[in-house]
Amino acid sequence: MSAIDRSHLPIRRTAFSGAVGKTLDGSQPDWNLIGHPTPPEGAPNVLLVLIDDAGFGNPSTFGGPIQTPNYTRIAEEGLRYNRFHVTALCSPTRAALLTGRNSHTVGFGSVGEFAGGFPGYSATLPRDCAPLPRILKDNGYSTAAFGKWHLTPDGQQGPAGPFDRWPNGWGFDYFYGFLGGGASQWDPCLAENQKIIGTPAEFYDEENPYYFPDAMADRTIEWLHAVRAQDAHKPFFAYFSTGCSHSPHHVAKEWADKYKGKFDQGWDKLREETFARQKELGVIPAETELTARDEAFPAWDDLPDNLKAFYARQMEVYAGYSENADSNVGRVIHAIDELGELDNTLIIWIWGDNGASMEGTITGSFNELTMQNGIPLTDEMQLQLSERYGGLDAWGAAIMDPHYSAAWAWAGNTPFQWGKQVGSHLGGTRNPMVVRWPARIEGAGELRTQFTHVVDVATTILELAGIPQPDTVDGIEQDPMHGSSFAATLTDGAAAEHRTQQYFETVGNRGMYKDGWWLAMKTDRIPWVLTPDALRPYAPGVWDPDAGRAELYYLPDDFSQAKDLAADNPERVQELKDLFWGEAERYKVLPLLATMSTFFGIVPPIPQDTKFEFRGDVQNVLSGMIPRIYNRSYSITADLVVPEGGAEGVIVAEADHLGGFTLYVMDGKLIHTYSMMGVFIFKQVAEEDLPSGEVTVRMEFAADEAKPATGGEVTLFVDDRPVGKGRMDHTVPIRFSGYAGMDIGRDNGGVVDRAYESKKPFAFTGTVKKVVFDITPHLVAQDELDVHIAEQHGQAAHALSE
Amino acid sequence: MKIDDETTDVLIGGYLSTEAAHEDYEAVLNCGKRLWGAVVVSKDLEGNVSLEQTDHTVEEGAVGLGGVGLVVGLFAPPLLAATAIGAALGAVGGKALHKKIGSQVEKMAEETIPIGGAGLIVAYPHSVTEEVESAVTRSVQKVVGEAEGNHVKALKGALADAQKKMAEQSAQGNG
Repeated sequence: MSAIDRSHLPIRRTAFSGAVGKTLDGSQPDWNLIGHPTPPEGAPNVLLVLIDDAGFGNPSTFGGPIQTPNYTRIAEEGLRYNRFHVTALCSPTRAALLTGRNSHTVGFGSVGEFAGGFPGYSATLPRDCAPLPRILKDNGYSTAAFGKWHLTPDGQQGPAGPFDRWPNGWGFDYFYGFLGGGASQWDPCLAENQKIIGTPAEFYDEENPYYFPDAMADRTIEWLHAVRAQDAHKPFFAYFSTGCSHSPHHVAKEWADKYKGKFDQGWDKLREETFARQKELGVIPAETELTARDEAFPAWDDLPDNLKAFYARQMEVYAGYSENADSNVGRVIHAIDELGELDNTLIIWIWGDNGASMEGTITGSFNELTMQNGIPLTDEMQLQLSERYGGLDAWGAAIMDPHYSAAWAWAGNTPFQWGKQVGSHLGGTRNPMVVRWPARIEGAGELRTQFTHVVDVATTILELAGIPQPDTVDGIEQDPMHGSSFAATLTDGAAAEHRTQQYFETVGNRGMYKDGWWLAMKTDRIPWVLTPDALRPYAPGVWDPDAGRAELYYLPDDFSQAKDLAADNPERVQELKDLFWGEAERYKVLPLLATMSTFFGIVPPIPQDTKFEFRGDVQNVLSGMIPRIYNRSYSITADLVVPEGGAEGVIVAEADHLGGFTLYVMDGKLIHTYSMMGVFIFKQVAEEDLPSGEVTVRMEFAADEAKPATGGEVTLFVDDRPVGKGRMDHTVPIRFSGYAGMDIGRDNGGVVDRAYESKKPFAFTGTVKKVVFDITPHLVAQDELDVHIAEQHGQAAHALSE
Repeated sequence: MKIDDETTDVLIGGYLSTEAAHEDYEAVLNCGKRLWGAVVVSKDLEGNVSLEQTDHTVEEGAVGLGGVGLVVGLFAPPLLAATAIGAALGAVGGKALHKKIGSQVEKMAEETIPIGGAGLIVAYPHSVTEEVESAVTRSVQKVVGEAEGNHVKALKGALADAQKKMAEQSAQGNG
């Protein structure tokens, strides 16, 4: 039998080799017709694990304070890589990981929420860059993805697709998880394959509440069992991409309490402790220097004493959340072991798709979306808001969407500077990786120090599986992968450097690595600050990217980027600057700051639709796809059938009590509640009972002015008769939620108005025939444009936080 | 000391949580100095209003703090600033100024106190300003008004002064 031609996918079926007569008499079957492609002999199972928003100095495996026994086990039975690199942002790392191409080349210079109009920022995978799961699937692997996806553009996450941008379209046979950048771990709005399935029913079981990390592991194990029940030999590729440790930092109290008092010493001392352990473990060279604290982060000792417990709890929760992730990965590994296939499984486990996230600002937040909506809150305010929602013991519970302080993130990136979004420095780009595959690895427990990048992973998996990169997929000629396999390092700790050069770019922060030298060009903007003043220096025609500060490090001698050699090496600096521009052009990085183009007036066309109609059975409309009611007048009209004796329940609800709105009926009255990110909550109640029969109810919001977060007057109507009114002094300018959905006829997941918490999801007991949103364009075209630009600014700010 | 003997101060504090307001309320009552009284008004997430007060003026033979409407504040400016919470609280006081403490004030509070928010009002002789102000550590917005005269006039004057300052502070968007 001739060798299978794997260079063109899908693999062609072999020609019929039997014989067909007029009848069965003389006919010969060819049983290969009903077969399917199989991978090359010896191709291993692959378990690819990606932890979210975590730093080099987080897991105990790399000297961090978070206990990660399963990660350590895999490292001790495999290899630790201490010079592994990612992009400094979620979606770009995922795109590079799953395509083997640099992220900008495949349209992911930024995140899925930000689908811009430049090739490197379209958030749309080019068809000449078939991703790894598609290649493995077509070569005979069973493929599945669990958890966070973050590679589907906002606005394309509903039943209309298009589904080539969903996990199945990337080549996964099965998907269970969420499409966006973050999700509640208690009441996520989930997708399964090509359907948004919303919040799992188990959420309503108070005795055994749903918890997404546990469910992820359960589903993965179920899938493995099911695949093996059908086929004892077919290799699998399981992509286990945790929502942890991205915000909201959700975990049960007992996990957080394991760390009670462990962070009372503060972030400055925590860095020193982590650094000492890293040296003791040998995961950093003995001569490494601990980088200094930037003045953007306050010294722990300068914090008010009465707020230190608040800050410490933030990190306790993050640590418990992260340890739980380690535990659930451990469950999956145990299941593979029980199948007797652990030693035939290549495990690649990356702790962080970027450095730990600084997007909680210095204060941390009870609700991660407050920062993105531009609500200024001091740490005392954040503490009080957390008290409003249950206090520090509830930090991590479903009632809050917490994010910790940027300074904890910085400490999690020990020994480096900065963190997520800062592509110029190792705090954003260098993360732990461990690899286990006893069949190939020699020197279990050893450290590998070769400079490696996330773009190398797909290429390595293909090499280890014996599968070539395809020349064509679906008849489309393929661009070669950019990755350089690190397979040789599995057997040889002294293997030659497989990658000698790599560009980095995230939100204008640039790095250029070549032969040990690293040029770092960070913009002066502090990553979590997106104010007009902070952005003004980067406007088109103002910003000269070559004029900013350039730092130069020689990494073989300076593991942490502590010694800036730029002043003594101007020629090297220029050489690397020139190299960066060449790479940037080659890989579609340009134009720089395309991620922030909306901040400078480059916005998509103003949508023309002003009317949005939802029939009564529509549920789980993801938050990026609800009608654009922000910053303008609008109305919500619902046609109801109310039975004799009355009805109660939700007519329409978006998101939850930490940002959202609900129009509902309770005690016979029509009620509208609007949560301005959980900071302000406005409620209007009708003064008369809702009649029975065919009834039309309406909520009208009359905005004060064409400005973000405008206040305005609310009027409630029943059959065109005003029945109630009230004022909302502030409205949400950008986005109610990062993940919670809008529902007709019920309020799935966490509820908007706690008054019906005990009745959730509080389905309407009459009939909701349809709900119509009418948004009112501003009378002056310039006002409409200004509001549109402001909304786009906000979306970009949201995107940068995912 | 009698209430008529010296200048009267009124402190208004705004809070985002009932816990913080009650913490300060307890702190001022336990600051070791004699106050005229204090009132804390709060509304929980389900919209239930609670009001707690300590009134020492009655012991002095005065009309009581309820007589001057101690639950005070200012109107809410349309600012996107969290500090506006304090100002929003003020709406209670503005309307409640001439109401007696009791069900009527609670009804007013129900209409105007933000869900999840709280307000603290403290009346005290000017001589204990330092002790009272240092006990109020958690307000996200705080003003102090003062006035002289007989007890009712002084209290109302201090209240009005505090309201004015709260309005000015809120208009500036800082707290």
